[in-house]
Amino acid sequence: MIELTIDGKLIQAEKGSTILQIAKANNIKIPHLCWDRRLKPYGGCRLCLVEVEGQRKLLAACSTPAENGMVIKTDTPVLRKARKTVLELLLVHHPLDCPICDKAGECDLQDLAYQYGPSEGRFYAERKHDPEATSPLIERNPNRCILCGRCVRVCWEHQGVGAINLIGRGFNTKISPAFEETLDCEFCGQCVDACPVGALGTKPYKYRARAWFLESTDTICPYCSVGCTLTLDLREGKILRVRGMDGVGVNEGDLCGKGRFGFDFIYSEGRLTKPLLRKNGEFQEVDWEEALYYIAERLRDIKETHGPEKIGAIGSARTTLEDDIMLARFFREVLGSDNIDSSARLGYAWALKGMEDTLGIKSNPVSLNSPIGKEVVLVLESDITSTHPIFGLKFLEAMHEGTEVIVVDPRKTKLARRGNRWLRNRPGTITPFLYGITHLAMKEGVHLKKDITAEGLDELEDGLREYTPGKVSELTGIDEDLFREVALRFINAESRLLTLTLGAAENQKGLETIHAAANLLMLLGEGPEALQIPSDYSNTYGAWLAGLRPLSGGKDLYGMLYTPGSLKALYVMGEDPLVTMPDAGTIEENLKDLELLIVQDIRLSETGKLAHVVLPASSWAEKEGSFINSQGIRQMLPKVVSTTGDSIADWKIFRNIARVMGHDLGTVEFSQLKEEAGKIVPEEGTRKWRFIPPEWEGLARTTEEYPILMVTGNIMQHSGSLSVMSKSLSHVLSDAFVQISPEDAGRFRIGDGEFIEITSPKGTVYIKARVSDEIPEGMLFVPLHFAHARVNLLTEVSRDGKALLTPVRIGPRKGNGGSPAG
Amino acid sequence: MDKFLLRGIEEEGSAAIASYREKGGYAALEKALSMKPEEIIEEVKRSGLRGRGGAGFPTGMKWDFASRDPKFPKYLICNADEGEPGTFKDRPILEKNPHLLIEGMIISGHALKAEYGYIYLRGEYPGAKVVLEQAIEEAYKEGLLGDDILGKGIKFHLSVHQGAGAYICGEETALIDSIEGRRGQPRIKPPFPVNVGAWGMPTIVNNVETLSNLPLIVSIGGEKYAGIGNPECPGPKIYSVSCCVKKPGVYELPMGTTLREIIYTHAGGIRDDRPLKAVIPGGISTPVLTPDQIDCKMDFVNLPKVGSMLGSGAVMVFDDTVCLVRVCWRALRFFEHESCGKCVPCREGTGWLRNILERIENGFGRKGDIELLQDVAHSMAGKTFCPLGDGAANVVLSFIRQFHDEFEHHIEKKECMA
Ligand SMILES: Cc1cc2nc3c(=O)[nH]c(=O)nc-3n(C[C@H](O)[C@H](O)[C@H](O)COP(=O)(O)O)c2cc1C
Ligand code: SF4
Ligand code: SF4
Ligand code: SF4
Ligand code: FES
Repeated sequence: MIELTIDGKLIQAEKGSTILQIAKANNIKIPHLCWDRRLKPYGGCRLCLVEVEGQRKLLAACSTPAENGMVIKTDTPVLRKARKTVLELLLVHHPLDCPICDKAGECDLQDLAYQYGPSEGRFYAERKHDPEATSPLIERNPNRCILCGRCVRVCWEHQGVGAINLIGRGFNTKISPAFEETLDCEFCGQCVDACPVGALGTKPYKYRARAWFLESTDTICPYCSVGCTLTLDLREGKILRVRGMDGVGVNEGDLCGKGRFGFDFIYSEGRLTKPLLRKNGEFQEVDWEEALYYIAERLRDIKETHGPEKIGAIGSARTTLEDDIMLARFFREVLGSDNIDSSARLGYAWALKGMEDTLGIKSNPVSLNSPIGKEVVLVLESDITSTHPIFGLKFLEAMHEGTEVIVVDPRKTKLARRGNRWLRNRPGTITPFLYGITHLAMKEGVHLKKDITAEGLDELEDGLREYTPGKVSELTGIDEDLFREVALRFINAESRLLTLTLGAAENQKGLETIHAAANLLMLLGEGPEALQIPSDYSNTYGAWLAGLRPLSGGKDLYGMLYTPGSLKALYVMGEDPLVTMPDAGTIEENLKDLELLIVQDIRLSETGKLAHVVLPASSWAEKEGSFINSQGIRQMLPKVVSTTGDSIADWKIFRNIARVMGHDLGTVEFSQLKEEAGKIVPEEGTRKWRFIPPEWEGLARTTEEYPILMVTGNIMQHSGSLSVMSKSLSHVLSDAFVQISPEDAGRFRIGDGEFIEITSPKGTVYIKARVSDEIPEGMLFVPLHFAHARVNLLTEVSRDGKALLTPVRIGPRKGNGGSPAG
Repeated sequence: MDKFLLRGIEEEGSAAIASYREKGGYAALEKALSMKPEEIIEEVKRSGLRGRGGAGFPTGMKWDFASRDPKFPKYLICNADEGEPGTFKDRPILEKNPHLLIEGMIISGHALKAEYGYIYLRGEYPGAKVVLEQAIEEAYKEGLLGDDILGKGIKFHLSVHQGAGAYICGEETALIDSIEGRRGQPRIKPPFPVNVGAWGMPTIVNNVETLSNLPLIVSIGGEKYAGIGNPECPGPKIYSVSCCVKKPGVYELPMGTTLREIIYTHAGGIRDDRPLKAVIPGGISTPVLTPDQIDCKMDFVNLPKVGSMLGSGAVMVFDDTVCLVRVCWRALRFFEHESCGKCVPCREGTGWLRNILERIENGFGRKGDIELLQDVAHSMAGKTFCPLGDGAANVVLSFIRQFHDEFEHHIEKKECMA
């Protein structure tokens, strides 16, 4: 601790902080333009100058470390004059086009110029750069740029991208994409929020409103399970843009492209406005009454004829906790069926089971800041900066603060590129990789030094005997010495973390991977905090906790969607199994056999197209509710905009059907439901540790006929099938694609951008190829978001939660008929 | 005094290793390699050597900081970016006496336990590049560079890095940025390069002339070296003299030689024996002096006493035919062009100053322009990120202070006094 005086106030502070940091913490205002909490000090704007006793020169508060005994003044006539001239100098090259600048009213330069009094305008020079329109979502006006460098630094230092840079010298300097192209941009829009003036803006917002006419409301992002706080700016009841507010929410102001630009899915033309009822094979718009009576009658019939065990429900990972509770209650209390499940079954449920089997816990929420301060972090076959962008940023931040981030992944993900080390393994071999480290740890005798009482240690040791570094190297394709080095690094670290995702869309990790990871950590004496597995979507975890899963022997998702004849009626809420779930062909056959398929959604999904009734639901911004994020935190969503058409909040639909069926679910008002949701707590578990012996079934089988492994997953600009409805996000990326290595592209004579056919034993789909060195030879990577590609026709479902990569063959598309998959 | 830094450079083939050896070259290296690194640093401290790159920082102290940092590898960088108008003192060493610099760098590398050295060479010195590379190759051939220098188990590798053609890249942190392959903008200090420099490692940046003093210090010892020139900042110094003198060129003289002696004894006096009007003593970014100030000793201690600085020791002499408004304007044109753009006062201020000077020079000066110049310069001085902007402001302030009449005349009469 040090002690110093600022403006006559005696202040104690942490050694190593800058004057500005200390001033901020003590509510002393020093103006600044180029400083950003997240970035290294830059010292360019010179507005934060302060006087320090005994120093001849004025010092920049943002970049001067405070020292014990310093006597600092932040507001004196000398400083006011200095700042005023800096502002005057800044305005030399800044066009005074505030009347047509979208930033007016919330511009730091405007505010400061106002605060320090009018500039005398003694000198004025013009810059004549053209406003640039090279990016689909971000608008640059270089003439307004004050060259504070925040955008460039946020993009590189904080986002780890480096899509833009400063080029030129002096006042001719300008911000420019590397080589004047936007190749690397991820469209996170972080640069836009960082810009203190109107030089960067988002396109969808351009000329839409003056800042002072906007009303702002905070809500929670509907996309991934990080659960970022979004600040929505509305005008006349319409959301015009989304911003992150410095320090607000679990994200503390950071946002990814989905959160920032993806909100416009609610205004998509595809939104359902009325219930649809199939009459003579065709959908007809009907009113709610007709739809509800039809549903009530059919459900009653089917229950009476076939029994409640023939009725099932698939819930959503994106509806609110309150919606989920009502679905569960409707099924259990009104229909008497426990056949309820959600997409969590395909991924997160296995992660939970894996952790219960080993660590004896029933829930393990992540902590966003967990990577920070760890000595070594292992990121295993998981593209976290894409699937959970803001969690992903923490790995970069940790790295800046000295953590060694080691990435094991066949794909050259952003963390692979930016992390300290990247080991490229064969797809689907994380499990033997973990076995190998565990084997080495045992050889090192680490478990002997710790007092480990967990069951199964001997069996584990026996089972791992064959996983020598040599064998692991053979299986994973990682160099033996490198493997040994990394393994020992992890074993001998003072503090460590293992992270991976196990999403519904992924097929290269499974239950056995979780077991292997937990085994290793327990052996090293680490608790559950060292294993960070985030849930998928905004409310995946909430749906699980709200009881969207069989609780008393009901059928699970496998039993309902993949078992022929298991159901007569299915209720699908906010989910599109035909697109997002594996082996879509089997699902389709089973859905077609149903006597009643009810689909409740915000738009007509692929699954909806097969339904007997389709109900229009309100979207995330159109209703009150809450989500539980991957940290286990319940966050409230206000109702922000009015509902679309005749759509109704999901929870209300269940209340209404129940009423028609003569049941009063007791929930008349939202407040009661909200209270009920507030009582949900995760279950504890026994916390008794147990080792699970190796169970990996060997390398995924490629054959001569199917020589390539297809890996599926989520990508950065999309998330499940929701984001595809967003016009902005689709601007960036709307075409389905498969990534293929340059080697395979050469071998199979496939050009970048060409349509190819992919065939698995299940069928064939046609899709555009993107040749990319992010992918190793022998592997394809396909995102599942795009309905028209139907990639899930090729995949298989793994009912025991084991990883199941899809062996396929590929080739140029033959003939030129329309895409049968479309 | 015998010349040391520029000894024998007028001879044909002076850059060859054989010729350097004939003058006793690389004897100091043999001695140095038998000394412990700490002993060499001790000698450098004793010698009182101050950096010749402009700031005059005590070299021994800088080395001490660097050698105390526990991190390895350490890098040694020779700053050969010499880009300031009027400054051409490093050039003769680079082109005519490269082995002196190389010997100095090997000794320094040993003293600092740095195994890699770089010469960051000004882009506009392609001739020097050829000479240096040739000399480095010779040194490798003779076992003076490499993994096991002269069989003493000491490792030092050296290579030339061609500069990016920007004046700012001569500033040590911008230089490091540039070596790392980035844009070349000054960084925040602290941390200083001696702790966090190239690729995050301790890095010692010294000027060509500074490093070229090492063989002398090692061979005659720090104590004896301290007896050369002004004892407060001793050693030989290369002055580059240009503009209105009879014999422009480089002169190696003891530190502390007076300006008068440099101009009138060594450079042959003013061209056509005209009256002296003004002198810039240390390169374009040092404040200008009037004729009555030329008895000042040219060193780091005495020039500040008359309101200027030694800088790089580039003496620019102006006679009564020269328009000083024009000189000032040209200087600001240079600074405007070379401002890196990072900080506001420099980026915007240099352009504004240039603009006002330009209109005065062209006969469009307005009443109040002198005050405006001073106002803008004051708002830059001491407030910029690095010394470049500071220098620009001080040049303007000194010209106005010393030659106020000339500026006034320009504005009022719309013509030049000269
Ligand atoms: C704008 C600017 C330009 C500079 N140019 C040079 C240069 O060309 N050569 C040089 O040796 N030092 C230059 N310097 C000084 C260096 O930053 C640094 O102080 C010097 O290389 C240290 O070496 P020394 O201690 O041997 O003098 C410059 C400094 C500034 C601020
Ligand atoms: S949107 Fe994101 S990735 Fe693109 S330039 Fe801005 S900060 Fe960089
Ligand atoms: S575009 Fe904005 S953030 Fe980027 S340098 Fe210019 S003013 Fe700063
Ligand atoms: S998608 Fe996830 S990371 Fe992105 S803004 Fe939404 S909650 Fe945050
Ligand atoms: S905030 Fe300190 S210089 Fe910009």
